[in-house]
Amino acid sequence: MHIPDGILPVPLTAGGYAIAAAATWYSVRRINQKEDPRENVPKAALLTAAFFVASWIHIPVPPASVHLVLNGLLGAILGYFAFPAIIIGLFFQAVMFQHGGLTTLGVNAVIMGAPAIVAHYVFRLRRLGNKESRAKIAILGFLSGSTAVAISVAIFIAVLLTNLPSQLDTVAETAAIYALALAYLPVMTIEGVITSLLVLFIQRVRPAILDGV
Amino acid sequence: MKLEAIDQYATLRSPFHSWDPRCKLIGFMALIFAFSFVRDLRVLLAMAVATITIYLVSGLPVSFIVSRLRYPSLFLLVLLLILPLISGQTIVTSIGPLGIRQEGLNGALLIATRFLAILTTGSVLFGTAPFLTTIKAMRALGLPAILADMVLLAFRYLHEIGDDLQRMQMSMKLRGVRSSRFNLRSLRIPAWMSGSMLVRSYERSDSIYKAMVMRGYGQATHYRDDFHARASDISILVVFLLAAGGFVVGEMICGRGSVPL
Repeated sequence: MHIPDGILPVPLTAGGYAIAAAATWYSVRRINQKEDPRENVPKAALLTAAFFVASWIHIPVPPASVHLVLNGLLGAILGYFAFPAIIIGLFFQAVMFQHGGLTTLGVNAVIMGAPAIVAHYVFRLRRLGNKESRAKIAILGFLSGSTAVAISVAIFIAVLLTNLPSQLDTVAETAAIYALALAYLPVMTIEGVITSLLVLFIQRVRPAILDGV
Repeated sequence: MKLEAIDQYATLRSPFHSWDPRCKLIGFMALIFAFSFVRDLRVLLAMAVATITIYLVSGLPVSFIVSRLRYPSLFLLVLLLILPLISGQTIVTSIGPLGIRQEGLNGALLIATRFLAILTTGSVLFGTAPFLTTIKAMRALGLPAILADMVLLAFRYLHEIGDDLQRMQMSMKLRGVRSSRFNLRSLRIPAWMSGSMLVRSYERSDSIYKAMVMRGYGQATHYRDDFHARASDISILVVFLLAAGGFVVGEMICGRGSVPL
């Protein structure tokens, strides 16, 4: 779901940078409102690195395999640090692995980061009611993970549909994009299950992580 | 993990290696964005020449850019194979039942050249200075301190966390864990492995923070960078900005006959 350089028109890449800059500014502003904003920087940075590394793990889905996106979990755990963390992860991917791009960094950050913020609010719903039961955490973990991927796919498809070459066969183009969306259905489910298992694991081993950074 | 590959040739000698990193960032990013404007085939040719010239001046070996093209080459291959078959109406030749279309060929050429030019220019930008120096230059140019600290720390610990993952995967293999089947257990294994990495990283961050505080982190100090832009640095920056402006203006002048995309 990372759009490479050279495909999108400049107004869109510039718009992506503008939205990403605004979201980062808002996130940094919220972080700076904390009593000691720098206290959580090492935690957020190391968790960012850990998420980045975890996204290299491949899940066997015969006959192929998929890798984890983890933007839902990232939003659930990192809160307002999630958007900067995603920009950093995408920047590393573009510079070191040529995955994504430098001009499309803003657009890709919106595709991955906006759903992470949504996931943050979805996972916060666990605080509603009297206690945080494991069932509630598991369900909201699943919803955070799968919803984030679903929204990312939706934004990705919207960007593609509105910016593909004008001479493309419309029928073939629409069919290919819908096929892409269908291919992501199992990924959304797997991402939801993994996120759910992961938050349950963290709750049992180190529940402080779920309180956010 | 080969994260350090980007720094492999950062200590060579070339005009770009000795260029002030702040000026280099501004100049190269302006040029990269100007490249993404290009749609006219004549300006595209000028862009290809400029890219090759920049790469030759950088002194980076050809093997460096070839290694960086390994992953994107798949994307390029798919693009070059599919676009000429499905984009446009003007059939120039046929391969069996498949018609090769002029507009698709032009589009594939345009996207592929633009992609390669941006990737090559970006590789020169990040390959001609240590990665950490480039991040410090970003901080000097106004990147928020929180973001700069996060980038530096995340980059510093990516190697170690990556090594942790490799060790965990190796240990699992040695204990006979097979993860080729798809079932709930095969999902639980990566979930718990990722969870272990997150917990370890979280615990490691505690001691890192304490060590950083001991060294004065978080105190109100003025950030002082070691960058000094000389007249020659500014001159190269002006050349790059003029070149970037030239591509934009060239595209506006020649663009009427461009490939519609």
